[in-house]
Amino acid sequence: MTSTLETQPAPAPQPTAGVRDVKVAIIGSGFAGLGMAIALRKRGEHDFAVLERADDVGGTWRDNTYPGAACDVQSNLYSFSFAPNPDWPRSYSEQPEIQAYLQATADRFGVREHCVFGADVTSARWDDAARRWEVRTTAGQFRAQVLVSAAGALADPTYPDIPGLDSFAGTVMHSARWDASHDLAGEKVAVIGTGASAIQVVPAIQPIVDSVAVYQRTPAWVVPRTDHPVKPVMRLLYRIVPGLQKAVRSALYLFREFLVIGMAKRRRFLKPVAKLAQAHLHKQVRDPKLREALTPNYTIGCKRILISNDYFPAVAAPNAELVTGGIAEVREHSIVDRDGVERPTDTIVLATGFHVTDLPIAEKICGRDGRSLADVWSDGMVSNRSSTVAGFPNLFLLVGPNVGVGHTSMVYMIESQVAYVDDALQTMDAEGLAVLETTPAAQEAYRDLIAEKSKGTVWLAGGCASWYLDKHGHNTTLWPDFTFRFRRLTRKLDRENYVGTPATSAEVAA
Amino acid sequence: MTATVWRRVAAVRSPDGAELHATIDGTDDAPVTVVLAHGWTLAQAAWDDVADQLAPRIAAGDLRLVRYDQRGHGRSTWGDAEITVDQLGDDLAAVIDQLAPTGPVVLGGHSMGGMTIMCLAASRPELFGDRVRGVLLVSTSAGDLTSDPRSAGGRMAKLKPGVLNAALAGAGVFERLRNLLPPDHPRHQKMVRGLLYGADATDEMVLTGARIMHASTLRSFIAFMPALGDHDKREELTALTRVPVEIFVGDSDKLTPRRHSKQLAEVLPEAQLHEVERTGHMVTQERPQLVTDAIERLMAAATADRAAA
Repeated sequence: MTSTLETQPAPAPQPTAGVRDVKVAIIGSGFAGLGMAIALRKRGEHDFAVLERADDVGGTWRDNTYPGAACDVQSNLYSFSFAPNPDWPRSYSEQPEIQAYLQATADRFGVREHCVFGADVTSARWDDAARRWEVRTTAGQFRAQVLVSAAGALADPTYPDIPGLDSFAGTVMHSARWDASHDLAGEKVAVIGTGASAIQVVPAIQPIVDSVAVYQRTPAWVVPRTDHPVKPVMRLLYRIVPGLQKAVRSALYLFREFLVIGMAKRRRFLKPVAKLAQAHLHKQVRDPKLREALTPNYTIGCKRILISNDYFPAVAAPNAELVTGGIAEVREHSIVDRDGVERPTDTIVLATGFHVTDLPIAEKICGRDGRSLADVWSDGMVSNRSSTVAGFPNLFLLVGPNVGVGHTSMVYMIESQVAYVDDALQTMDAEGLAVLETTPAAQEAYRDLIAEKSKGTVWLAGGCASWYLDKHGHNTTLWPDFTFRFRRLTRKLDRENYVGTPATSAEVAA
Repeated sequence: MTATVWRRVAAVRSPDGAELHATIDGTDDAPVTVVLAHGWTLAQAAWDDVADQLAPRIAAGDLRLVRYDQRGHGRSTWGDAEITVDQLGDDLAAVIDQLAPTGPVVLGGHSMGGMTIMCLAASRPELFGDRVRGVLLVSTSAGDLTSDPRSAGGRMAKLKPGVLNAALAGAGVFERLRNLLPPDHPRHQKMVRGLLYGADATDEMVLTGARIMHASTLRSFIAFMPALGDHDKREELTALTRVPVEIFVGDSDKLTPRRHSKQLAEVLPEAQLHEVERTGHMVTQERPQLVTDAIERLMAAATADRAAA
């Protein structure tokens, strides 16, 4: 712990009749929640609480502890710009290092004393008379002027609706809820799904299990992972050469941004990437049938491009099997595929992803007219600048709609949003506003902007069904352009798109 | 509830550390286990047609079918031991010991897979009679593979080890050359058809076989060639006289011509020899029904024995 704790004790939220009043309540303590909290601390704002349902910070990186969990973006880029870490052990860090980084960063900026752990938000309602958010959690009630939802998109695992899954007598675990005490050694394991989590977990468990069956619905495009340990001399250079790590970060950022040209502008620029992925598969898998089963039939980039050097060899290992027939049902000790083949199974690993287009937190947040965000969003998520929603005053969303990226660091997007929200909060202070709410017109305009930018992109036209699109086939999750354009759009609060209600003198006094 | 076929894959570990990729169809309580061994530069997929024909009987619980990739082939690894056909016999022993430790077993081997079974008969004769109760030998030989310089096998065996090693060193180049003429190329198929298939083989059969072989490595081609030349088990097949044996050979087989199977039939006078007309080396693919029928006869004999005993 840092010494700032002792010298500058944060004013703890005052409990009043069991309800704690805070100026800002932040839901979640992953990259987004921590980024927001740090921004507040940095400008001397102490009147806030971070509501965290678990017992530690970290969010997605705390929860995803499955073997092999690692980031698909280089750590030099996948980290806070204001908190570079010269000690990353690998170019692409694994989950424990990223989680340690988040813990250390939370400590370093004194965020932890603002965290209320075990506080799972059960409901958040806007009280229009009091102009406050009433937030109920499993750790008590909160009243906040501003609510920042940093609950994230990769927070709540999806469980597939497979007949008989409930009757399975063995162990079932989701990759995002890994049970490390369960020993897979010598077991017959089924992995369901072939997305980003699956291709990390399969090579990690394949050498220790008796056999692994990988149940694939759609194959992924996989390109080589250029991962390597960071040499001690490089770590030293990062420490002593000013700007070096920042330069590396910028280079990585620019390189990745080139992918946007192919994915969102000119799809033919993706051809070399597809060639690279094809050569990768060709080199690693010799069996013609397996190779065919692992070859995607949609344009590269439509679904998330995955990076791995050990997934294909693991699927082609002597004790592995790729099952493409689809699952008909799960029985007590086996899985039956649609070809009528029944495979004995001890443990089922669900690598089936997260609720992304139907964020569960949206069911818990109710706005001015009492309707939940999920209800308002039932025809698809809408927002102004991915951050605010009409009818939900003083609510800000981090990692909400249309802010996802598949090609680069999510942290870049989070920092863009944090700056936007922070500017909004400062504007409220400067103008003496009690309430700030975006307009439906601004939302429409933003939706049109997203739709226009999404037109012709590989996500819509690539011939695949991905978790980026909602049930209507609309892109409500991805930012469909260069990420620096999002940053430009969110640099300052677009005050003209908001209606502000001044605080009464009583409120100012309070 | 419709009948399903139980399937699992297993990596069978040999004492020297090779991991053999095996597919096991059927339940462990089936009355008989059929183990199939494939040939040189092929893989267990060479038995796919036979497996398809056996599928209803597997679903009915009549047998358990084990197919495996020989070391250095398919998905199996190489291990540390020197490459010999005797080693393949030891591998087959490991497959039986680990996947069918009890109950009657019927063995089937195609080409090098048949030699594998002969090596097992030489090294583990005690298995035959009690455990192994029937043997199917398809397009194979007990030895003397190189004596006929006019046969395709003889011509290939003339390649000296030095030439082979040079080829292995330049494997990357050879791989690229091989990829220039992929299996679906007409010239590639013409070559494969000419060497391995009989007059009745369909283009589809040839393409399937060509793809399986194309997936095998140059290393397995080179490493096993001298091993096959060294194979000579004509004096050590006594164990095979204790069980029913069926021998198949295509009349237009160029790799292991008819005289090899005739020789086998002389050493094993009780064995049934089937010479199949208008058929080449790939009998398992070209005549899957004949091969399946033989397996079913051997299975019936194997389980009838047990019932009597």
